[in-house]
Amino acid sequence: METEKNKKDDEAEGLGLPRIEAKRYLQGSGVEYVSYGGEHHLPLIMNLVDQELSEPYSIFTYRYFVYLWPQLSFLAFHEGKCVGTVVCKMGEHQNTLRGYIAMLVVLKPYRGRGIATELVTRAIRVMMESGCEEVTLEAEVTNKGALALYGRLGFIRAKRLFRYYLNGVDAFRLKLLFPVQRHTNISR
Amino acid sequence: MAEEKIGDTDVQIPVNPTIPSGDQSVWADVSPLLQLACKDLHDGELIHGENFNLFAAMSALEIMDPKMDSGIVSTYYSVDEAIEKGAAPVPLSFDRTIDIQCTIDIMDHLLACEATWHKGHSLAQTVFSCVYLLRPDRTSSHALLHSYCMVVRATCNALVSAVSDVRTNEEEDLFTLTYGLPLKGDGDEKCLSVLHAIDETISRQLRACKAPSTKRRVLEDIEPLQTNPDLEEGFCKAVLCRLRFRKHFYHVLMCMRRPQGKGFELARKHITSCLSELDSMLKLEEFLRSNNTCGTVRDATEEATTASGCRPIGFDSSLNSRLSAPTPPRAIKLLYWKEAVEYFKKLLNDLQVICSYTLDPVLEVVLRFVVGFQKLHPDLVARAYLQLLLVQDGKLYGRDPVFAVIGKASLLPDVIKNHDLQKNEAVVQLGQLVTNLLRILCTNAAWQRRKLGKILQEWRIIHVQLEMAFKKEFGDTLSTSNDENVAVKICNQILIWVEEQTYWIATRFLTLGFELELYSPSDYCMVYWYIYVILIKLAEKTHVKMMRSNDNGRRKGKKKRDSKDAKDYQIPPAVVLFQCQIYLAEGLVMMLAALRNEYNVFQSLGPFNTEHERFLQHFELLQKACLPDHISYFSFKETTNHARLSTLSMYNCFKDAQRIAKELRITYSNDPEKLNELRRIEQVAEHNVVALNLVCRLGTLDPSLKIYFEFSHHPYFASAVVKRS
Repeated sequence: METEKNKKDDEAEGLGLPRIEAKRYLQGSGVEYVSYGGEHHLPLIMNLVDQELSEPYSIFTYRYFVYLWPQLSFLAFHEGKCVGTVVCKMGEHQNTLRGYIAMLVVLKPYRGRGIATELVTRAIRVMMESGCEEVTLEAEVTNKGALALYGRLGFIRAKRLFRYYLNGVDAFRLKLLFPVQRHTNISR
Repeated sequence: MAEEKIGDTDVQIPVNPTIPSGDQSVWADVSPLLQLACKDLHDGELIHGENFNLFAAMSALEIMDPKMDSGIVSTYYSVDEAIEKGAAPVPLSFDRTIDIQCTIDIMDHLLACEATWHKGHSLAQTVFSCVYLLRPDRTSSHALLHSYCMVVRATCNALVSAVSDVRTNEEEDLFTLTYGLPLKGDGDEKCLSVLHAIDETISRQLRACKAPSTKRRVLEDIEPLQTNPDLEEGFCKAVLCRLRFRKHFYHVLMCMRRPQGKGFELARKHITSCLSELDSMLKLEEFLRSNNTCGTVRDATEEATTASGCRPIGFDSSLNSRLSAPTPPRAIKLLYWKEAVEYFKKLLNDLQVICSYTLDPVLEVVLRFVVGFQKLHPDLVARAYLQLLLVQDGKLYGRDPVFAVIGKASLLPDVIKNHDLQKNEAVVQLGQLVTNLLRILCTNAAWQRRKLGKILQEWRIIHVQLEMAFKKEFGDTLSTSNDENVAVKICNQILIWVEEQTYWIATRFLTLGFELELYSPSDYCMVYWYIYVILIKLAEKTHVKMMRSNDNGRRKGKKKRDSKDAKDYQIPPAVVLFQCQIYLAEGLVMMLAALRNEYNVFQSLGPFNTEHERFLQHFELLQKACLPDHISYFSFKETTNHARLSTLSMYNCFKDAQRIAKELRITYSNDPEKLNELRRIEQVAEHNVVALNLVCRLGTLDPSLKIYFEFSHHPYFASAVVKRS
C-alpha cells in the first residue's frame, strides 16, 4: 500500500523537466520476449500466475486462453528463467471486436524494469493489427502499480465495479480505444 | 450388453438390470469404462465434444481440491453432526456464571456476524454460521439465548424483506440470498414480548443485587442471574443492554416500514435508545474482559469478535458451505466486535438522518437531500430504507402523485394537480423516469453512475416524445409562448423542466466520476470543460423555467407594474450559484490548459491512441444523448488550445467565482447547506488564485516547482497545490 503522500507525488507534475519514465524499459536489460510457443510454455505460465495471483485457476483456464489465442500470450525470459507473462483473448462484444487482458504477471524482483509494459504492449499491438477496436481489463482499485502502467499506455478508467473481487475490493474496468477514422466523423 | 472402444481396447459394459430401462435407453454401469478412460487420459487432458469446448472446460471443478471442492472443506458433515459432537451445547455450561459469560460471547459474535453480513458477505457464512440459530427448537430450555436468537432471526428476516423490496442491483443482491436458511422460526413474531419478559426478569435480578441488605430479605425469592454475587450486577447490566439494543433496533426497523414516514418520530426515539445501549455495551467491555471464561486477561487493544475477548461457542463458518455454491465460499474475515459496534452506530446515525427528513414535496429538495445523504457513504441497509421512503406505490413518499411532483418541479401552480394531461402516455412515462431516477440515486455510487449514464438517453427521448405528444394535442399553439391557454403553458413548463433535469443528471454523472476516482489528472482539463459546458446549459434551463413561471404569475395579477418589474429584474440566486460554479470550472479548464500548453504537463501521451480517444470514451454516453448539442472534442480543443498563463492572470475566473460567492452569502444566510457550498467554492477559488500567481511568477525560473491537484476543499472542484520537489 502506498501512503497518501506518495500518491500525491505520483500525480504531481514537474514544471521543469520533460517526463522520461516511459522510455526507461528500452535500456538493454537482457530480457528476451517470446510469443507462446506450445505446450512446453504452459507450466511456466501456470507457475508464474500461481505464485503471484490469488485466484486459483485450473489448467483448463490457461488452456482456454493459450490454445485459442496463442498469438496474444507472451513470456519474458531473463537468463533462461521465465520472469513474466501476459495472457489475453479477443472476441466480439456488442458488435465490436474487443481485446481482453486476462493475466499479467512479473516476478517481484524483476519489476520496475518495464517488462510488464513491454509484454502488454506486444499483446496490444497484435490486437490492434487483428482489427480490435478496443482493449479492456479489470484491475483492483488498490493496485496502484497496474493502474499507473495502464494509464501510461492510454487506458481510461471507464467504470468502477463495486466489490468486484471476493475479497470485497472494488475494481476499475480499464479501456483503451484505438483511433479509427469513423470516430472523428461521429463527433463532428 | 453395450460395447465401447477406448484406445485399442474393447470394453464390455454390463447393463444394470436393477434400474428399469426407458423406451430407447438402458442404464449401464460405466465404472469399468471410466477406469479405462482414466488410464488413457493424462493429467490436464480433456475430451472434446460438440457441447464441451475449451470455454466450458474452464468451469471444471477439481474433485478433492480444497480450493474447489466444497464437500471436503467442512468441519462437520451436517448441523446434526455438529450438535452430536457437542459443538453447541445447551446449556453452555452447568456452571451458571460460565453459562452467562458464554451466552454474552454468542451475542457479541452474532453482532459481529451481522455487521459483516451488512457489509457484503453472505448470510450463510456470517449470522447463520451459528448452530443455535440453525436449530431454533434446541434453545427453548435456555430462555435468554432462545429470545436473543429469536430476535436476531426476526431482524435478519425484516432486513432481507426490506432490501428485497427495493429490488436492489446485482452487485449487492448477495445480501438477500437466504439459501433456504431457517429465517423464520416458529414464534419469532412474538420475539418482542418474549424479550420484554426476559428484560423484566433480569431487571428484577439487577434490582435485587443492588438493594441494601435490609431490603434484600423481601427480594430473596428472586433467583440471581448467576452464582457469583460480586459479578451479578455487571453481568445483569451487560445482558440487559444487549437485549435492549436488539429490542429497540427491531422497533426501529418496524417503525421505518410504516407508510409515508408515519413511524419516523417513534423510530427516532428508538434510535436514540439503541445508541445509548451501544454505549453501555462499550462501557461494560472492561468488566467482561477482566472476568472472562478463557482465563487470560487480554490487552485492551487486542482485536476479537466479542467484548470479553473469548472465542464464542456454537459457530462454524463452514457449516453452510454446501448450501451456497458448488465451489466453497472463500474464508471471510469477520468484523471485530468494536468495529461491529461502530458499524451499528454509523447505521443508526444514517437512519436518524432519514427519520429526521421533512418529506418535502419539492423534487429539487428531495434530490438535494438524497445527494447529501449519499455523501455520508451509507451502506446498503440505510440506502434501502431511504428508497423505501422515497418511492412507495409509485408515489413520492407513498403520498404525492408523481404528476403533482413534476408540476411542482416545473413551477406550475398547484391547481394543475388534476389536469387531464397526466393521463397522456408520454407524461405517464415521464413519471416512471422520475421514480426510476429516485431509485437510482439511492444505489451505491459506482452502480449509480453507470445507471445515470444510461438513463440520460431515456430523458432525451422522453423530451422528444413529450414534444410530439403535446403538439398532437394542441397543434402549433405550443410555440406561441404568450398564449393564455393553461394547457399549453403546462406543456411548455414541463418541457423546459425535463431539459433542466436532464442536465442535472448529466452534472451528477460527471461529478460522481471524481468520487469514484475515474479521472486521472491528465483527464481533468477535459472533464472540467465538459462540466463547464453542462453547467451553462443547466443554468440556462433553470433560468428560463423561473422566468416563465414568474411571467405567468405576474400576468395574472399586476399587469400595470410590468415595466417597473422589468427594471428591477434580478437573476435568481439559484442561477447565480450556478454561475459561480461555472466560473470555477472555467478557471480550472483554463489553468490546466495553460499548464499543458506551456509546460507540457498533465498530458496523456500513450503509444496507442490520442487524447481524442480518451475524450470519446469518457463522454460517450453524453455525446450519444447529444448533451449538449453540437459539442465535440474539437470544441474542447478550440477553447483550450490558446490558453496561456499570461492571459489568465489578467482575466481570472477564480476571482469572479470568489466575488459572486461572497455576494451570495447574504441571500443564503438562512440555508446552511448552500452556505457550506459557497464556503467551499470560495476556498477552492482562493487556493487556485494563489497557485496561479505562484506559477506565473516562478514557473520558468524554478524548475523544481511541482504542481498537483487535490480535493481537500470540495468534492469535485480541485485545489491546485504548488510545491518545491
